Amino acid sequence: MSGTLLAVERLNLAFVSAGQRVPVINNLTFSVAPGESLAVVGRSGSGKSTLLNLLCGLQTPDDGVIAIDNESFGNASDAVSIARWAELRRQLIGVVFQQANLMPALSLVDNVRLRTHLAGRHKQDERWWLQRLGVGDQADRYPDRVSGGQAQRAALAMVFAMSPSLILADEPTGSLDRHTADEVAESLFNVQVETGCALVLATHDSELAACCGRVLDLSAAG
Amino acid sequence: MAVVVGLSALGAGLSGCDDPSGESGFAGLAESGGQAEASAFLQPKPGTRLVFPDDWGPHPQHRIEWWYFTANLTTPEGRPLGVQWTQFRQALQPRPAAKAPPSPATWPMDSAWMAHGAISFNGDHWFEEKVARGDIGHAGASADPFRVWLDDWELAPISESDAWHLQVQGDNWDYDLTLSNTGNITAHGDGGFSAKSSSGEGSMYFSLAHLNVTGTVTVAGRTQAVSGKGWFDREWSSQFLKAGQQGWDWFGLHLEDGQKLMAFRLREGDSTFSSGSWVNADGDVESLQEDDLTLSPTAWKESARGRVPVVWQLRVSGRGVDLRVKASPGEHWNAGLVSYWESPVAVSGSHDGKGYMELTGYADQAP
Amino acid sequence: MLIRAFLSHYQRHPFQLAALMLMIVLATMLWTGVTVLTDQARSSLAQSEETVAARAHIVRTDGQPVGVEDFVRLRKTGVCVAPWLEVKRPAPEGQVIGVDPMSMACFGRSAPIQDAASLDGMPFMDIGDALRVSQEGYDSQLYLIAPRDDIELPQGYALRAFSLAPPTGELADSFLLNLDALSLLVLLITGLLIRSVYRLGLVQREASFELLYRFGVLPRRIRQLLVLELVVLTAVGVPPGLWLGASLAEALGTGFGQALGSLFDLTLYAESFGSLPWRAAVVMVALVLTVCLLEWVFPQPRQPAMVSAYARLGGGALLLAGALGVVLATELVWVFAGTALVFAGVGLLTPPLLAAVEERRSVRSGATASVADPLRRWRARELSVMFRQLALPVVALQFSIAAVLAVHALVTTFESTFEQWLGQRLAADFYIEVPQGGDSATAARRLNALEGLGTWHLVAHGKAQVRPEEAGTGADPLTADLMALTPITDLVSDWALLSSAERPWRELASGAVMVNEQLARRHDVEVGSPLELTIAGTRMRTNVVGIYADYGRPVAEVLLHADTLPAAFTPRSESFSVNKGELSRDVIHDRLADTWGAPDLQVRDNASIRELASQIFDQTFLLTRAISALTLVLAAVALLIMIWVFFTTRVWYFRLLGVWGLQGHQVRRQLRLLSVRLTLTITAAALPLGIWLTWVLVNRINPLAFGWSLPMDLYPVFWLELGLMAGAAGLLVAHLMRRQLERDANGERP
Repeated sequence: MSGTLLAVERLNLAFVSAGQRVPVINNLTFSVAPGESLAVVGRSGSGKSTLLNLLCGLQTPDDGVIAIDNESFGNASDAVSIARWAELRRQLIGVVFQQANLMPALSLVDNVRLRTHLAGRHKQDERWWLQRLGVGDQADRYPDRVSGGQAQRAALAMVFAMSPSLILADEPTGSLDRHTADEVAESLFNVQVETGCALVLATHDSELAACCGRVLDLSAAG
Repeated sequence: MAVVVGLSALGAGLSGCDDPSGESGFAGLAESGGQAEASAFLQPKPGTRLVFPDDWGPHPQHRIEWWYFTANLTTPEGRPLGVQWTQFRQALQPRPAAKAPPSPATWPMDSAWMAHGAISFNGDHWFEEKVARGDIGHAGASADPFRVWLDDWELAPISESDAWHLQVQGDNWDYDLTLSNTGNITAHGDGGFSAKSSSGEGSMYFSLAHLNVTGTVTVAGRTQAVSGKGWFDREWSSQFLKAGQQGWDWFGLHLEDGQKLMAFRLREGDSTFSSGSWVNADGDVESLQEDDLTLSPTAWKESARGRVPVVWQLRVSGRGVDLRVKASPGEHWNAGLVSYWESPVAVSGSHDGKGYMELTGYADQAP
Repeated sequence: MLIRAFLSHYQRHPFQLAALMLMIVLATMLWTGVTVLTDQARSSLAQSEETVAARAHIVRTDGQPVGVEDFVRLRKTGVCVAPWLEVKRPAPEGQVIGVDPMSMACFGRSAPIQDAASLDGMPFMDIGDALRVSQEGYDSQLYLIAPRDDIELPQGYALRAFSLAPPTGELADSFLLNLDALSLLVLLITGLLIRSVYRLGLVQREASFELLYRFGVLPRRIRQLLVLELVVLTAVGVPPGLWLGASLAEALGTGFGQALGSLFDLTLYAESFGSLPWRAAVVMVALVLTVCLLEWVFPQPRQPAMVSAYARLGGGALLLAGALGVVLATELVWVFAGTALVFAGVGLLTPPLLAAVEERRSVRSGATASVADPLRRWRARELSVMFRQLALPVVALQFSIAAVLAVHALVTTFESTFEQWLGQRLAADFYIEVPQGGDSATAARRLNALEGLGTWHLVAHGKAQVRPEEAGTGADPLTADLMALTPITDLVSDWALLSSAERPWRELASGAVMVNEQLARRHDVEVGSPLELTIAGTRMRTNVVGIYADYGRPVAEVLLHADTLPAAFTPRSESFSVNKGELSRDVIHDRLADTWGAPDLQVRDNASIRELASQIFDQTFLLTRAISALTLVLAAVALLIMIWVFFTTRVWYFRLLGVWGLQGHQVRRQLRLLSVRLTLTITAAALPLGIWLTWVLVNRINPLAFGWSLPMDLYPVFWLELGLMAGAAGLLVAHLMRRQLERDANGERP
């Protein structure tokens, strides 16, 4: 056992809709070890994105505990916890969405530079990371001047450049065509293994899920 | 009867021109603001008697009064020509009889005067209005000798004669008339007290209905000798209309056989209050009550300032009087601070004749 | 069904519909407000002029003062005459004038009092009340004024000139012309604002139009629907805007006035606000339809035209051509055309220029990446994007701030010019006309002998033929008004001369002349120019040693020393201007009256005329201030909406900063820095344009229209106030956005 990076215990979250409590995350427990990859699957609306939001502190659970690197967070949404979550997102947790991961006003390399600056890393290896993800020659272009696949590669470069312990990816290839999606996914898994960071990947794509070490099916769990 | 105009609006200056209170000035005496002060003013009651010669002159203890004259004249070519002159006094402060008038040197503002002059001829109507503050001297009235004046407009006796001289100048028109009285004073209502509602509001009111008029009129660029019949009214009160009365329709008619008819009705919503006097050729007066008298409009005119009844049926029961009274052609608005209709009329039906008609409360808006 | 699909955009983005509606309402409000206030300023000015305009007053030929009996006598002979009682109550309450509104009924439009509301004691009140004030122990004088100076009078009475102040003439016309020019500018700003919001919505709907087109809906049909939609929006938006504008103008016009009135004891001639200004509505509807449907006449490229390099080049060319036109123009219309070109040029240049500046900042902050803050770079880049994408509203705000600057400078300038102008004409305490047959030389000797008298001079008025030497001997001489002074004292030597020789007054005393600005401008006369004068048939050569400002006097004027006059000269009129010094007014009056044997000698009190005239004109200046305040407030509100709409489309990127680990307060700080910098930059960009516009109004339009110029002053404190306001607007946007940011962290992504 190489220890636990992320531990989730009896996590609960419900939305209130028209006076009715609609449970989204229902008594969920799981853990992720450092360097491990976990696919979160489930139908649309099964709470994949919500879970990822909870795991990076963008939402607060009704109940349960999330522990990151042995630091526990409950359902408190006080200033201290909010600040601590922000610090974690800055330095430890990288988040990749389906799209719009980049500031449109900045070039790809400036996006990476801004992200690493926020993470407190000043290695000036932005171009290297873009090269590593296969978009080195697009580094000075603006997000709206590159393809969707290239933008997602840049987003991954940005996340890896901050040296996170955990990457939360929400359908990162969801808006790409099959071929590009496969290429981007390949880069993602390669670099993830290389850097040894953990990955929680929400997807409805079973092929992509199969690439992960473990699969958590929210439809079944719920 | 003549128009009761909200002269009090003038007290604050010329704002009366666009002040909606000008309109309510028709019934201004019955307004709530007026009622509170009314106690300080003297109010005519049934039983109040006329006193001569004092009643020719002003009544400083009363809120409002006027001197009114109309004439149905004829030009040398036989065309009808009507003239009107009215001078109003409105008190802002009542002045007891014992108290001396304020000195003109203090520019007092206890009362205000207004005069209206108008000519109706060939379907056209000329009108002018003058205003003045009272007690200064350029506007006023006196009982003995009898005189009424405002600036250079004046009604005054002709020396060494019983006749009067009326002189009025407008913008590009004027008239200069001699008025000779051939009849008695007609006291209306109860010995001069003329009720204006069933609840007791009223005024002191008398007329000279038998006036011979001669003189010259300049209008439309021509000066013409004229002659005809005139009608003179004196009326004063402090509480003239009761609240809610919207206006009146008044007629002063000279019938061919020498008889005279004065009739009016006051309108309040759908109901009316009518009254009048029948004067026979000998000058005997009979007061006409509500039941004796029917005044009903039979034709209306869409005029520039509103819808006006221009043809009337007047009936006096028990006398076989059934008259059709028709305004002369054209529009006859006196468009001053308050607009009202003042036109010569032709009488047909059971009797022929002519006269004057005054209609108030029909103008859409104050000018 | 098609309509539902068409409108689905607004169903999803109700805020955009609301923004467009709001903009139409606000724009209508702005235009209406300005129209109403301008009209009011116009009639207020007219009324002020009427009040101070020259009239006649009636005096008794027996020299006795007039009284109420004279008034009555005159009225009874049919003369239109009204009493006018001046009560010389000292400050702070100040002078009052008692009038009788009833006897002024015959004055018609030229009645100084049109409105009972004016009888508020500032300075007019009912004559009876005024008399009671005078009985508190103040001097008073009764005049009997007449509306015209050509009326017939009965025996024993004569007419004399009477006015409250010298006629303002072209000073007022010039003010109104400038006001009109500014109204046009406001209309332009309004158009820009509406167009910018409309375009913003349209760009976002392009995708759905594309979809409808693919479904087989003809572009023509889509256009028809867009026109219909616009007509409906206009019909709904214009009436409330109209009402709001009129109400706001009324509030500003009266509220403003009341506040200042109670603070500074100013007179307000509040013209009653009539019905809604429907003319403004027609203009507005036409404007909305035009600026929005411009799209169909000149299809716009995706990238706002204002940012393309082509536009930049065109903008530069327009700016240059316009500026040249304004400088070189010899006719007013070309100055206006040039100004329009400059505005167009500035409008085209400003957004790319500001974007480029931010671009440079971002490059600079990237050059030294090790120490630089990438967040600063991001902000610079965001701003650069905003200047491109918000080009229209940015320019609209720039124009409105420029307009406000110009209005402010103009109004302040007019005010001080007016004061100077009054001061120049009414320098002494008293002004005494020498009566017909009166001997001025004896009077001057007797004044000289008066111990304790202040400075005084005698002015003889007449005519002179003037021929500038440059014009050549063949040129026709022109007739000028002649003023001959003696002695020269500080009553004139303090005049602000536009240009002068070294010791102009000394040279004047030894035979040189001064000319007014009108003569100098129209006939190219400069200091040092030789001048040929013909006075009373005597020809003389002299030269010009000074040019004095004479705002608004259309007639050429020559000023010289009385000693220079030929012996044959007989003045048309003569008058003394006298400072009383240690003596009382009565002593001086009696001395002169005695000299001339004229007990009815009229002494005009200049100080109170001056005080009254400025009191009366203050109203106009209050209103123009209100116009500038309204323009600014509404332009700022419009920009606020625009920035807000724009930020809303970019709210995700601020949230992304949160995802990347910035805490809420840090994100909000970024937001504040961005929006404040945006508004401040626009204000800074408006400054040169505003100063230039002021210069054009004062130094180009005015001299061309009227032959004289106003002094140009700048008011940096006001710039600072504008800057503060812009900063506050920026903070307000940031505050509004804060709520949007906090609403739902998991919000919609682009």
